[in-house]
Amino acid sequence: MDPHLPLLPIVLPLAGAAAALGLVATPRARATLALATMLAATLASLVLLREVWSTGRPMVFQLGAWPAPFGITIVADLLAATLAVMCQLVMCAGLVYAWSCTDRCVRDPAFYPLFLSLATGLTGAILTGDLFNLFVFAELMVISGAALTAIADDRLGSEAACKYFYLSLLASIALLLACGCLYVSYGTLNLADLAQRITATPDRPLLPVAIVLLLVFFLTKSAVVPFHFWQPDFHTAAPTPVSAMLSSVVVKLGVYGVLRMTTLLFVHEAETIRAVLVALGGAGVVFGGLTAIGTHNAKRMLAYSTLAQIGAILVAIGWGTPAALAAAIVITFNHSLIKAALLMLAGAVASRAPVKSAAFADITGLGRSLPLPGALFLLGGMALAGLPPTNGFVGKLALFRSGIEAAQYGALAVLAAASPLTLVYVARAFQRVWWEQPAAGLVPKAGGDRLVAPALLVGLCLVLGVWAEPLLALARANGEWLATPANYVQAVLRR
Amino acid sequence: MPYLMALAIGTMFGIGIFLVLRRNLLRSAIGLVILSNAVNLFLLCCGAYDGVTPAYTTAPGPRADALPQALILTAIVISMGGLAFVLALLGVLAHRERTADADAMRGLRH
Repeated sequence: MDPHLPLLPIVLPLAGAAAALGLVATPRARATLALATMLAATLASLVLLREVWSTGRPMVFQLGAWPAPFGITIVADLLAATLAVMCQLVMCAGLVYAWSCTDRCVRDPAFYPLFLSLATGLTGAILTGDLFNLFVFAELMVISGAALTAIADDRLGSEAACKYFYLSLLASIALLLACGCLYVSYGTLNLADLAQRITATPDRPLLPVAIVLLLVFFLTKSAVVPFHFWQPDFHTAAPTPVSAMLSSVVVKLGVYGVLRMTTLLFVHEAETIRAVLVALGGAGVVFGGLTAIGTHNAKRMLAYSTLAQIGAILVAIGWGTPAALAAAIVITFNHSLIKAALLMLAGAVASRAPVKSAAFADITGLGRSLPLPGALFLLGGMALAGLPPTNGFVGKLALFRSGIEAAQYGALAVLAAASPLTLVYVARAFQRVWWEQPAAGLVPKAGGDRLVAPALLVGLCLVLGVWAEPLLALARANGEWLATPANYVQAVLRR
Repeated sequence: MPYLMALAIGTMFGIGIFLVLRRNLLRSAIGLVILSNAVNLFLLCCGAYDGVTPAYTTAPGPRADALPQALILTAIVISMGGLAFVLALLGVLAHRERTADADAMRGLRH
């Protein structure tokens, strides 16, 4: 296989973004180009995943042929390849949704370039093997996401973007400080080299400081409970195709980061980090579920529900057994598809409302004459609540089984007690939009956003629910890979 | 010298954090500028060698570590872009809301 393969998922969207910037006068060509490059990038990451999985070795590319600890390394191990495929699949669906989106901001010349640079930043941050390079890609992702929200039709978009960007800059400062602490202690920022050196001398005084700062960065990126306050505002005000990306795949960067922290970088301190993750994750599951019930806006409800789902993922990462890590991967993958689909459906219904809004007050009863989005929302809601025959059930089953195997009954009790909350808020949203009588004179507008993208995603949820074995096998392989970080280190440093 | 540097960076962090916590968004943006510069100085001090001459030259004297300098250059460029974006957003917000008080911008509180 061509050694440049791990670069393609990063370079293709970046080149597409640059090319789309040139097509100022032709919006259709811009959209086509964006979708084509994103599909090509997805294809490249699928090939990459197949290659990595079948050979059983990470694919490593050294930029500029500088050997590992000195240059920038792109590493596609199984975790990175899996998450890259997940992100790019959902990003493709987002572009399909944007194709028929009625928002004015989609026709902004900067929309597609920014969308593609969001994809570049996210994929790059996942595939890079260097801590400082991760900072650069994360900044690219943050600034693209904030700019996409700032150009939203919703006039609160700029306020939300400002709020998010402030907090992201502060989180980036935490990451830079962590880079400094690690560099002064170990003299390297290459993840593999760091892992090796930290294992050799785990008693440097600045190491705990670096761990805490890195946790602050990744937990802010994932909107985990004490760092979550920007997230519902930001995800609600963003344009629908963008908010479907933000709340599904962009928040997964933090999940990726804590997975790398506990299984590669800080294996010695992993027990402490895991205890923190279980506590924060459990708090997130309860808090996210309760606040989602108390919201007045469908998109906001789904944004709060992300807090709960990320909480469940963190609890699984905190258990730390290979089976629990596999469950975390399954939930991560499934949640991206489900949440993107549900946010798109909420946006599609809002686009048919007389005043474009996803507030329950504006869309109550609107769905009575829109049966197709209702059916899709019901299926997506079942997946979110973890009911068969959807992929949500598979993830939840894997999670609970791994918890019983790891004998973590306290956290399991919290998860079990909080899981009916999901059912409550999904059922409540469904009831308000598709069952209740509409206000007098409320009829859906003609036109509106098409349902191709959410239908594709919900279809994928059903397929992965009925034919779950490929994803489960992939997740199990991921769990085994993560249990042996030495392979990653050897592949990068070639020792 | 290291103590003076540590004291200066600490003071900058203090000023930056104090300003970021102001209610006036413009002051808090200035706080962000000071914080990102404090981080750059911190990175500079993380270099491996306390050198005075550039790396990869034949000049005599202890070499400086080139990597933190490269990191700082990147961080400066990124933080400049980010701060320009924040200031532009603040300009739009302050113009629209006729205030720079963070507590007065309540549009997102449902």
